[in-house]
Amino acid sequence: MAGAPAVTDPFTLTVNKLKTLSKVMTTRAAIAQTPKEIVWTLNKARLYRYIPVVPQEKRHRIPLLLVFALMNRPYILDLRPGHSFVEYMVNNGYDLYLLDWGVPGPEDKNLKLDDYTLEYMPRAIRKLQAVSGSAEFSLLGWCIGAILSTVYAALRGDDHLRNLILLTAPLDFSNKESLTFARWTDDRYFDVEKLLAAFGNMPGEMIDYAAKALKPVENYIGSYVKLWDNIDDPLMVDAWHAMNTWVTDNIPMTGGFFRQLIVDLYQKDRLMRGELVVRGERVDVSRIRANLLTVIAEADHITPPRQSEPIMSKVGSADKELFRVRGGHIGIMAGSGACKHTWPHINAWLAARSK
Amino acid sequence: MGDELVRDGKPFDPMDPWRGMRDAYMDAWAKGMVEAVNSEAYAQASGAMLDSYLTASAPFREAVEKTMLKVLEQMSMPSRADFVSLAERMTNVEMRLDDMDAKLDHILLLVSKAAPSERMKPQSSTQQRTRTAKAAPKKKGSK
Repeated sequence: MAGAPAVTDPFTLTVNKLKTLSKVMTTRAAIAQTPKEIVWTLNKARLYRYIPVVPQEKRHRIPLLLVFALMNRPYILDLRPGHSFVEYMVNNGYDLYLLDWGVPGPEDKNLKLDDYTLEYMPRAIRKLQAVSGSAEFSLLGWCIGAILSTVYAALRGDDHLRNLILLTAPLDFSNKESLTFARWTDDRYFDVEKLLAAFGNMPGEMIDYAAKALKPVENYIGSYVKLWDNIDDPLMVDAWHAMNTWVTDNIPMTGGFFRQLIVDLYQKDRLMRGELVVRGERVDVSRIRANLLTVIAEADHITPPRQSEPIMSKVGSADKELFRVRGGHIGIMAGSGACKHTWPHINAWLAARSK
Repeated sequence: MGDELVRDGKPFDPMDPWRGMRDAYMDAWAKGMVEAVNSEAYAQASGAMLDSYLTASAPFREAVEKTMLKVLEQMSMPSRADFVSLAERMTNVEMRLDDMDAKLDHILLLVSKAAPSERMKPQSSTQQRTRTAKAAPKKKGSK
């Protein structure tokens, strides 16, 4: 179309802009396109293995398992070709696995931390070990996935876990003044039992509202204004479309886990105080011996840095590193700068420990 | 004339000053809103609103659930509770199958170690079963 005349008519330009706006607001972008296969399923959970592109002799020996949050789709890690953490790690020679928790139904309302960390994760890891042929493995948890990974590592630290990577991990809930979520879910104002009695599971729309309400102007207005300002830039529009597809694809959180998240963590800070009990076992983070990389987003309004920092002085790991990245909760892994800062650092850290 | 309308290599856009004002206003508004939602008053108000909604909707919800249960019973149809119970049992069956799968993996590993001449790479029973299933039609075809 190199010979096509440039459109200069203001009316046509505006119509074209509106068409683009309508398209990105009402359609789903092509996301999660890195080739993969299902190697294990249990209830709604799926374990995917990404098809390696690097010859076996050049691959890292230790496989990597990605664990994302429960209330969002994990394809944020594989958002779109050319801008995918999954694609980047596969191209860098990792045998890569992703644990997708799926969409819980009413029958899953009683699933809680105990089930996720002591039933689902060990089984998925057992399958990963069988498929990869490696007993040792690395674990990367992001957001709520980092809570699950931390609890798993503390309870099953002797399960050949070699490397643990925690991204924007909400682990310390002691400073309630700095946590907006903690303020909203204070037991004086928020009745978690009444909410779960009504819905069973915590609806995805309510979680989405809460996340967006932390920064209402940016999320409800600013995001669309930014899109309109850049609507002539196809790269920016594609990025916005993919991110909007992910942001609007919300899933519920099981009632059992939500109750623990609010009561045990946000209200009582039991994990860092060493008082969290999972199926009769006390979760002691000092039992974590795996090499640890904690990644913090300096401008994170969902998990402020001080929620992730204290784990560094509590774990028993000899090899540990705290890595700070400029950016927000999602931006550090899915933003335009992720491929220049966060991903290369994770790759370098992990490659040195995957031999 | 053209030189006057070009600044930093970009054509002059009369909307730029307006955009600057808009962005400044939105920044100030955003900061104000962040402070507002982070206040004790907001937490109290949103908690009260949610509580009112849940309290007001509870009788209707219960009435609908009871009515639906009766209707389904009359029609000899399974209720949501029946489906939930069934789904839970299915998950339990899946877990037992998963345990068996793990044991099979372990047995295959031991067998492969016991027969080193075959140089079997330890792999999952799922993979082996899939390969066997795929290989079967080929044999038939070759005959």
